Amino acid sequence: MTADKVIDWPPVEGVLAHSIKIVDIPPRPAIMDRIRAAMNEDIPNFNYVGQLISADVSLAAGLIKTANSPYFGFRSRARTINEALLMLGLDATCRAVAALCFRQSFPDSARYERFWDASARIAALSGWLAGRLEKSKIRPDNAYTFGLFRDCGIIILLCRFPDYAASLARANQNAELSFTSVEQLDFPTDHSVIGALLAQNWWLSDEMCQAIRYHHDRHAIDMFDSGLAMGSRYLIALSQTAEYLLQQVSGASQTREWEKLGSSCLRLLNLDADDLTELCVEAGALLKTVDY
Amino acid sequence: MTDCPKPPWKAIDRSGCAPIEIRTAAVDPGSGFLKRCDGLNAATRLLAEASRLSTPLAALWLDVDRFRQVNDSFGHAGGDRLIACIAGRIRQAVSGLGECLHMGSDEFVILIPDAGGSSAEQAARKLLLEIEQPMAIDDIMIRPSVSIGIAISLADDDPIGLLERADRAMIDAKRQGGNRFVISGYEALPGRIGVALAREELAIESALYSALENGELRLNYQPIVRPDGRVEAVEALMRCAAQGVQIPPDKFIPVAEKTGLIVRLGEWSLLQGTRCAARLREQGYTTKVAINVSRVQLLSPGFLPALHGALICANVPPELIELELTESLVMDLSPTVQANLRSARQAGVGLAIDDFGTGYSSLASLKDIPATKLKFDRAFISVLPADRQALAIVKAMTQLGRELGMIVVAEGVETHEQLIACEVAGTDATQGFFHARPMSEDDLILWMKGRSFK
Repeated sequence: MTADKVIDWPPVEGVLAHSIKIVDIPPRPAIMDRIRAAMNEDIPNFNYVGQLISADVSLAAGLIKTANSPYFGFRSRARTINEALLMLGLDATCRAVAALCFRQSFPDSARYERFWDASARIAALSGWLAGRLEKSKIRPDNAYTFGLFRDCGIIILLCRFPDYAASLARANQNAELSFTSVEQLDFPTDHSVIGALLAQNWWLSDEMCQAIRYHHDRHAIDMFDSGLAMGSRYLIALSQTAEYLLQQVSGASQTREWEKLGSSCLRLLNLDADDLTELCVEAGALLKTVDY
Repeated sequence: MTDCPKPPWKAIDRSGCAPIEIRTAAVDPGSGFLKRCDGLNAATRLLAEASRLSTPLAALWLDVDRFRQVNDSFGHAGGDRLIACIAGRIRQAVSGLGECLHMGSDEFVILIPDAGGSSAEQAARKLLLEIEQPMAIDDIMIRPSVSIGIAISLADDDPIGLLERADRAMIDAKRQGGNRFVISGYEALPGRIGVALAREELAIESALYSALENGELRLNYQPIVRPDGRVEAVEALMRCAAQGVQIPPDKFIPVAEKTGLIVRLGEWSLLQGTRCAARLREQGYTTKVAINVSRVQLLSPGFLPALHGALICANVPPELIELELTESLVMDLSPTVQANLRSARQAGVGLAIDDFGTGYSSLASLKDIPATKLKFDRAFISVLPADRQALAIVKAMTQLGRELGMIVVAEGVETHEQLIACEVAGTDATQGFFHARPMSEDDLILWMKGRSFK
């Protein structure tokens, strides 16, 4: 614990005098609240939800693309918003909308292009993996959303602290300490905590918030008495495995996470080295064909 | 099967565990599981087979957590529905793996041939995940769970010995709080018994989960006002609703503390409170926001990262945040709690002691906490100004707080006379309906704007 590491905050009065622009975390998009309200009706009105989404052209296009993504493996193809809604269901639609709004909600998003690309690929592979693995307990769209939100704390810390990039690099390279422990050497918090706070603020499911919170914590994943729900553990295992597959396919392994968490993930997913090799080949073929 | 003799492996000391209710026909008749006597036969048969093939046989003993509470709350029909539902989930989770046996009441045994420790663990994880999905009884959602004990057959094992070890491990899993498995031979030392929840508590627990996921949590804010009219701080108070119906804090906070959900609720309110402070600052107010924290939160290793995370997310200086500590917390300071409070204070966050002066107050504890604010219990204020003794106590406590370098606040001020009495006694600020009731963030900002002070 690095409780004594205190951030050098500007003095209160000074801040006011200079009227620094206040940077908040991305607020929850209003459309999510409206969809949720519609979902909570006794008889949810699909047409109304369809209208809400159609009002935003990029959201509508994004949702149809999500429903048709080969990662989710639906047999039929959605051509309209209402068809996409029926295929996904309202719950998954709400998650998909959160995922679609997510990137747009960050100011200066273009600066972190590579981060977003990697997140999108990990999310897509997580979704595919959830569907691909026999008897997987996680719905593909859930695994997909988790992949997208998992590291959102990184973006917030990068936006806020110029020094964070260096910490991040060190955390990626450290094979001994957990990723978040390395971050906590320099900061009094870490990206998993920030990410979980943001996810809670967006009212994402508890299973997902807790998975974000503990996605680098081997103890939480491994030990049954850690209290982490099994669903959260599976989400973590799927996304870490997806990240590993991506790194194997792209040949660019920039992290040591698999060395630290790989065996736990394989155990949870009931996979062995041969399965992993096979999945790597499939993931490679898939990534080549898909635009995500 | 009802006349079969009580199997010897039931002769285990269960002191400290919920009594087992034996009822016949508790299970869904369609479950297809073997009954108790057949169970012992099956174990004998499978064990013989395993020893012939020199492969291990895994026995998983499942016991439904909080079954008695469900029975007490929903009647035996509710209990039966829970058992039927769990039986279905067990069948789904272990289909094809081995034999499922219903041992009566809320106990099941699963025998998996050719399964060592890791396969048995895998099966147990799958079972726990399958069973923990929410289910509805009488329109109330509950999250069922089981405790699982695992035993792996040894050479020359006998079926009773195997099942007895699994049963013992299950009892240990239950002692550790349930919803987990323990492998025989790895039992922990006896710990606390799983928390028993009554019907209302089950419903509240489920409502809290749904509030966390459906946006039915709110923070309301009540101003703390200085004699010159300036707003010294606002106290954030959590409100929780389930499908539009408000649940009073004195109902949901104890349940949240028991179940550990308070950590999630607490982190949520840290973020919302700090964001409110940021919004007030944006409007030009340097008003502090006081956020309630519980003992359970302060004991969790994630407390400081969450506090700092919230400060970073909201981008507010720590000086604008106060942690409000209940008196019971202050009186029961563990080293972890103390260390967390010190670190928070070091970072610049204020610490307010709430409800001071009643209950188990100990003046000695004041020196152990680097508190910045002392809030008198409303019991002293409600009898002012008539009660001269209360007034004397308020005066003396104010003096004490001052000497310790704290801001002294009187809570529960409802009338102008009480306000005057507090000011005469020398308190630094007052809080209560006389100034304002707790209100939403938007209403708070309107209220602040309606005043002449920044």
